[in-house]
Amino acid sequence: MKERLAIPNLGNYTVALAAMVDGMGAEPWWSTYTHDHAMSLGIAAAPESVCLPFKAHLGHFLEADEAGVENAMMVNSIGACRLNYYRGMLDDTLKDMGRKIRLFGLGFDGFKPPVFRYFDPPIIPLLRAVFLGIEKIRTIDTIEIQTAFTRARELNTGETSLLTEHCLSELCGIDTKKRVQVFHKTVRERFKAIAIDKNRDPLRVGLIGEVSLLRDRQLNRNLEQILGHRGVETKNFFLLGGEIGNNFGISMGYKQQTARQLALVARPYLGCEVGGHARDSVAHTIHCAREGFDAMVHVCPTGCMPEVSIRPILRKVSEDMNIPVLELSFDEHTCALGVITRVEAFLDILQNRRRKGLTKAKSRGTS
Amino acid sequence: MKKIGIISLSDRKSGFQTGHASTRRKTNILLKGPKNVKIGIPRAFYYHSYPGLWECFFRRLGHEPVVSPPSTQATLHKASAQTETEGCLPQKLFDGHVLSLIGKVDAVFVARIISIVKKYNCCPRFGALLDATRAGIARGVPLIPIEINETVAPLSKTLMKLARTTLGADTKTAKLAVKEAIEAMAQHHREEARRQREQTPGKRYLLLGHPYTLHDHFIADPMIKKMAQLQVPVELMSFAGSRHIKPGDILWCVFNQMYHKLHELDTQTYAGVIQISTFNCGADSMMADRFRRVCRQKGVPYMLLMMDEHTGKAGLDTRLEAFVDSLSWQKTGKAS
Repeated sequence: MKERLAIPNLGNYTVALAAMVDGMGAEPWWSTYTHDHAMSLGIAAAPESVCLPFKAHLGHFLEADEAGVENAMMVNSIGACRLNYYRGMLDDTLKDMGRKIRLFGLGFDGFKPPVFRYFDPPIIPLLRAVFLGIEKIRTIDTIEIQTAFTRARELNTGETSLLTEHCLSELCGIDTKKRVQVFHKTVRERFKAIAIDKNRDPLRVGLIGEVSLLRDRQLNRNLEQILGHRGVETKNFFLLGGEIGNNFGISMGYKQQTARQLALVARPYLGCEVGGHARDSVAHTIHCAREGFDAMVHVCPTGCMPEVSIRPILRKVSEDMNIPVLELSFDEHTCALGVITRVEAFLDILQNRRRKGLTKAKSRGTS
Repeated sequence: MKKIGIISLSDRKSGFQTGHASTRRKTNILLKGPKNVKIGIPRAFYYHSYPGLWECFFRRLGHEPVVSPPSTQATLHKASAQTETEGCLPQKLFDGHVLSLIGKVDAVFVARIISIVKKYNCCPRFGALLDATRAGIARGVPLIPIEINETVAPLSKTLMKLARTTLGADTKTAKLAVKEAIEAMAQHHREEARRQREQTPGKRYLLLGHPYTLHDHFIADPMIKKMAQLQVPVELMSFAGSRHIKPGDILWCVFNQMYHKLHELDTQTYAGVIQISTFNCGADSMMADRFRRVCRQKGVPYMLLMMDEHTGKAGLDTRLEAFVDSLSWQKTGKAS
């Protein structure tokens, strides 16, 4: 029997990561969002002032351990942000609690990442799995974009969300690259089949901020759906395909701006790399203001080091470029209702701005 | 009244290079004309990381450095209305110090610190500090910016650049100023080490923290005073000689030094470790757990004290007394 391997949550993209792990010779244990039970486990075990994603990851792995999963895998980072130390601390905490689950890193201590050394997958099936995973990431990018577009215009509320779930679960079952490509082509048609109001001109809102919060719908209290069901077209700036494509220079699906381009855009306001996606947040805000977005929503865990430290800059951009920015911090006590209230109040303001003709004004001044 | 224009508010030449020509470059009005410009230095963050350096540096260049007064509750009070609410306590204090300087000086000196030690990094807050201050608390105030990134250029080069470009000094003066400033810092460190040696002969407590929390009047002083009252010798964590630190997996240089210090802690010399943390400090939240673990392995008692804006002195006193008492009981065997 294959050993099981718990993988970290990355929203819907976990589907693609699971496919890669499957090809590595391990049975993936995953979920597209952190469960309530996992959250409570993580909160109980983690130090109180660490950031929310850490608690979510810890809870996720504790839950995996309870389910009898033998191995877990965690991503590495080399930035200045706390993510850099997640793996070490997860490892320590799990050991202190006497859990049996083994935690592997993804590298930096040799040519082969530790997790590969343990499972030692044969090279050809592994490559095949990686290509399959990449194809799935591309498909999920398309699904995400289509969902955001359709949800804001749908006539029967909830139809799009259902279809997204349906598409994802179908994507899980596909195990060859060819068939994923075929499936990819049908995605657009499927979303087109949903009845939409073609005349509606929905508010356009960009979502920026911290990755886990942008993608894990348990952590962000389903923010995207909240916005979508209120007739707002969201643009989530974390698309894994685009992100990987720009960081590693491989063309993968949707072209986003490269790190270099973003740095150039953000430069009048922020002159250096801060860590995490902080600089990207600033750059995307400037960009969206130029493109005529109605507003931005900046999400981050409470006390997130990079994202909180750039807030004064975001406020300045917001004033200079005439684009409202809603700052939402999430912690374990954040209630969905509170988020809904704030979002609804914000949307009222945006509607009002539109009525008065204050939005869609092209950027003023130079920057 | 001296008249100076905007002092190179956007010193786009320094810092992260994207390889393109600058998109926006303001006219660089150098401070060539009037000497003796009043330069405000906030007594926070980088002031404590480079003790004695900045005053000497600016004075040597013929300017007048004005360091903001030590932080008090009033400093915090001043900042709390304007600062980012989710920032950490030292960040709020920094903002308070900047606010207290505005109006009294011609320009405020703000640093963007990416790394203090080569190949190591700092808290991400430091990277955004300059731009965030410019956009937030010190909007419209002339700033003297500097970017310290030891990974790219050593401190002396960075200082040289600041003196030559922004402050418009000639090469000879600049060189002399840089040399003397760095020497002043080294002197300060030597002095500190000497004081430390003289003061604490016996078994002592180690106070862990960042340079900017340990030497801050508002954060650490109540604790140091209380320990003096209890007549227990205390050693502050020293970051002198931080240029040559031992490699480790912690990339935050300050924490790397603390980690090594704890690892090599002599249990005969140190009675206990007290870590001073500040509210909402992200780095501390990650590292405190690890330090606790190291101390447990070594059998050294460890306590974490978190300071925030509202920390009452009574609570602090109780915890310190209890910690010291329980350790002395352990020693005398009164309680088993």
